[in-house]
Amino acid sequence: MFAQGVVGLMSAYIRGRNVNLTFRPPNRAPVRALHDFDVEVKEGEFLSIVGPSGCGKSTFLSILLGLIKPDSGELDLHGRRIDGPGTDRAMVFQEFGLLPWRTVQHNVELGLQLKGMPAAQRRNVAQHFIRMVGLVGFESHYPHELSGGMKQRVGIARALATDPEVLLMDEPFAALDAQTRDLMQVELLRIWHDTRKTVLFVTHQIDEAIYLSDRVLVMTKRPGRAKRIFAVDLPRPRDYEMRVTPQFNELKLEIWRALEDEIAV
Amino acid sequence: MADAAAPRTGLLRSNRRILLGSLSVLAFFVAWQAVFLFVPLNSLFLTKPSLMFAALVRLTMSGQVFFDLGASAAPFAYGLAASVLIGVPTGILMGRRVRVGLALDPLFTVLYASPLVALAPLVVIFLGVGVTGKTFIVFLLTVFDFVFNAYAGVRAVDPLLLNVVRSFGGAEKDLYLKVIFPSVMPYIVAGARIGVGRALIGILIGEFFAASEGVGYEIVRFGNFFALDSMFAYILVVTLIAIVLTQGVRWAERAAFPWRVES
Repeated sequence: MFAQGVVGLMSAYIRGRNVNLTFRPPNRAPVRALHDFDVEVKEGEFLSIVGPSGCGKSTFLSILLGLIKPDSGELDLHGRRIDGPGTDRAMVFQEFGLLPWRTVQHNVELGLQLKGMPAAQRRNVAQHFIRMVGLVGFESHYPHELSGGMKQRVGIARALATDPEVLLMDEPFAALDAQTRDLMQVELLRIWHDTRKTVLFVTHQIDEAIYLSDRVLVMTKRPGRAKRIFAVDLPRPRDYEMRVTPQFNELKLEIWRALEDEIAV
Repeated sequence: MADAAAPRTGLLRSNRRILLGSLSVLAFFVAWQAVFLFVPLNSLFLTKPSLMFAALVRLTMSGQVFFDLGASAAPFAYGLAASVLIGVPTGILMGRRVRVGLALDPLFTVLYASPLVALAPLVVIFLGVGVTGKTFIVFLLTVFDFVFNAYAGVRAVDPLLLNVVRSFGGAEKDLYLKVIFPSVMPYIVAGARIGVGRALIGILIGEFFAASEGVGYEIVRFGNFFALDSMFAYILVVTLIAIVLTQGVRWAERAAFPWRVES
């Protein structure tokens, strides 16, 4: 009955054990968001988390990021306890979270500035990542002058600029149209290949999860816990044709079946 | 022929805001002047534009206008500065600390809605007819523009942006410097746009009640002397300054916030 293959497979790099969290909004009934949530992630791995809306998957990323403290449970990154934000982790947000009064260049520099890096060095580092995400020539543009895809490129560059060990991505492409989303997935794989970060990627889309990931974790409905983990055995580098192979579709169906019972309409 | 006419029409079209706007102003003065072709002018009660402009030239040449403007400008600037320095932090505090906001909002709303100008005679009694009294009246009339705009600005801060800064290890200080101040800034300038108009009223009221110099004082003094041409010359000066100031704030707004989406 216990989620198979969730715990104890490999040398854990990120390890979450029995993570519990209940939201207690004033004047309303408490909401149990996570219930004994377990997860283990390998170094350099790309792990996606899928689950029904409100299952606590985004909440879990916020806990990993250090913005929310769980009620109980253990969370370690590389053997260090996670207790608040740290430069070893960076988040790419669904709604981009760009500062509208800052140009692309200065948005990418934000994390570096908060780290106290001198301006000249900051500029160089930011320039490197602006090139990586393909935004050369847009350095002095403001966010409102960019398309959704470009905004998220800035979001990715900003997260990578601080050189985190782990990249947390909270439905980063959900606000984009379908074609832009496909393109961004390809771009993300290229960047991931070049930077070799450990990635935790939350999404609603099974396709996206399979295409990008080494493993896909399916969560139960709220209060969320790990239900099953699927290994994706598609070779890398991935290409777009793999999305129409029988292997891909079989896995998609299997994941869908695991997810189906959790979705209430 | 048609080719030559086309760009002219384009020029007229693109400037029609200014052209039509100026036209109505001109028409107003012409009509005002023309009335007295049919009605005898009693200069004790009324004046006409020709006399008003003549008085304006006279007062400008003698330097008196500039002397009075200088006298009014100091309390205007001090009062507005005090409003910004006190009103903005108060508004931000109300927005950031829920209990402070809940406690002060009703009181300030009542004060903002009440005719504070009616307190002007009291202010004069306590603070006198000099710069201090006028400054205080300007402050009273404008401080809530800044309080409420800063308050609204803080409540409109996107919580996601605060989380972004926090996630990069930003401390409370960084939340203010990187997110709160920049996003409240346009609200403060919007407050200034309203505040500038109210500050002008404050100055005039202050100088109507008691003063020995300044634009408002001259308006009342010339009125008492039945020198209506000079009185209207000063009213015109105040009007022009009001236009310049509010347009100046508008212009500064556009220049200072290039990141704002054009609507």
